[in-house]
Amino acid sequence: MKAKEYWNPYVAGMVLGLVLLAAYLVAGNGLGATALPKRALALATNGIAPDWTAGNAVLGGYVADGANPLRNWLVVEVIGVLLGGFLGALSAGRLARKVEKGPNISVRGRLYFAAGGGVIMGFAAALARGCTSGQALSGGAALSTGSWIFMLMVFAGGYAVAHAVRRQWT
Amino acid sequence: MNQAIFPLAFASDEFRLLTGIVLGFLFGFTLERAGFGNARKLAAQFYLNDMTVFKVMFTAILVAMVGLYGLSALGFVDLSMVWINPTFTWAQVVGGFLLGVGFIMSGLCPGTSVVAMASGRIDGWVTFGGIFAGIGLFTLTVDWVPGLHALYEMGSGEVSVLHEVFGIPALVLALLVLAGALAAFVGAEKVEAFFQQKRPPVELTPSSRPRLKFAMGGALGLSAIVALALSTPRSELPPIQMASMAPLSLAESIIEREPGLLILDLRADQDSEKGIPGAIPAGDEEEVLQALTMAPPRTTIVVYDDTGRVFEAPGTWPRTLEYLALEGGLEGWVSQVLTPLDAAGLPMEQRDTILRQNQISAFFSGAAVNTSSVAAPPPAMQAAGAPKKKKAGGC
Repeated sequence: MKAKEYWNPYVAGMVLGLVLLAAYLVAGNGLGATALPKRALALATNGIAPDWTAGNAVLGGYVADGANPLRNWLVVEVIGVLLGGFLGALSAGRLARKVEKGPNISVRGRLYFAAGGGVIMGFAAALARGCTSGQALSGGAALSTGSWIFMLMVFAGGYAVAHAVRRQWT
Repeated sequence: MNQAIFPLAFASDEFRLLTGIVLGFLFGFTLERAGFGNARKLAAQFYLNDMTVFKVMFTAILVAMVGLYGLSALGFVDLSMVWINPTFTWAQVVGGFLLGVGFIMSGLCPGTSVVAMASGRIDGWVTFGGIFAGIGLFTLTVDWVPGLHALYEMGSGEVSVLHEVFGIPALVLALLVLAGALAAFVGAEKVEAFFQQKRPPVELTPSSRPRLKFAMGGALGLSAIVALALSTPRSELPPIQMASMAPLSLAESIIEREPGLLILDLRADQDSEKGIPGAIPAGDEEEVLQALTMAPPRTTIVVYDDTGRVFEAPGTWPRTLEYLALEGGLEGWVSQVLTPLDAAGLPMEQRDTILRQNQISAFFSGAAVNTSSVAAPPPAMQAAGAPKKKKAGGC
């Protein structure tokens, strides 16, 4: 199957904006991505070390009052993202088990970068209380001051390091 | 209370969670169709030959921002019920920069790594695994590294919105952002065209091996089942925290015939002392639940008993209603509303307040010699001069 063209970015942005608006109107909050890993971690650590979990600055709130950490709109939403991404790729002929990388790096090298980048992002998202979806996109639309600061800093960080890691991509 | 339709209130928690799956699906689908399941395309933003990230992100922000604040200005959205990210400036500065660093290393951000995973990309799986580990690393170090904990909690943690910071109306700021973004889009097109001379645009990755579809489908079906299974609530629902309401505020609300207000008298013995007018007797759990299930969504329920404690509402109470506990309970009502104050010897500025309070007191306790001559005091929103005249006439 030949892969379909990507949507026009402005069209995609408009659709995305309407989905984000719908989230605010229907659920009273924006979209997000890191709630699922954070809350899944809380569930796991609560089983092993409940006292530590309850006292943890990040995880404590998720297990307070005996609540189920996974019973949360943002967790279920990420499951939706997984399903939507799958069907999007499938219907566009872009489903492929491979590694996206530039021509001048090995698969192993690329995956080391991916893992390292992931660890840094997980740490950063926990610190900032969100990521590009929850803070930059959603908080940005809501005009939250901190979210706009976060968004600008994400671009700053990316551009600052881009030249150093260009071998991955070009 | 207020007439805004949005955000929606749900009678069933399960139904609300279902909307999460639907909207998440649309989010993921759109991200994939924009090309955000592909790390090479995302990374290209930082080499300027592909400005898709910028264009999609800012268009989306504009549409949602105008929609949210526009509908709020028209009265359709109650912004006080909308979650807006609180500001923790330094955590967001450092966290944002680090996220950018990780982003260009992985070529994916957390949300797009999920889309990449769903598209079969191994770098997506690895990135997501790294994110999970990174979150774990933070939860460990935030306890042990004092500086980190301080950074995490630094700042007000309050909701700060840009238009308030700049002291302009929300819609004016929205227009400025709109204008700025449109100018930026023009610039972005030029930048992209320029850098595409040096680096070609990112080409698509087509599908491989058809059998993959079924394996992926199976894995996703499994995750959906797992998600549902894990989403069942624990046996005890957590109690509901209640804010308090001052007796005088309640009195004003009753006088103003505020709609959407329900008063519940939770005392076991309703006859020992006269309750608050209009309160529904609800001495036992059954009567309470009966009254609550009949209340329309978003009704404000004010509860009181004779202990005066502000307690937590049991988890079995419907979560679609707003609960307030009367400060001081019935005793608070008696002392603050029913008991008139002596205005003598007090400065002029306080006299109006005292007179108002005594009006309210007279209305509720029927304490005047001729109950029929005590008219309901006008709602507080009218001119302050009015109560004075009435008082002189009544006596």
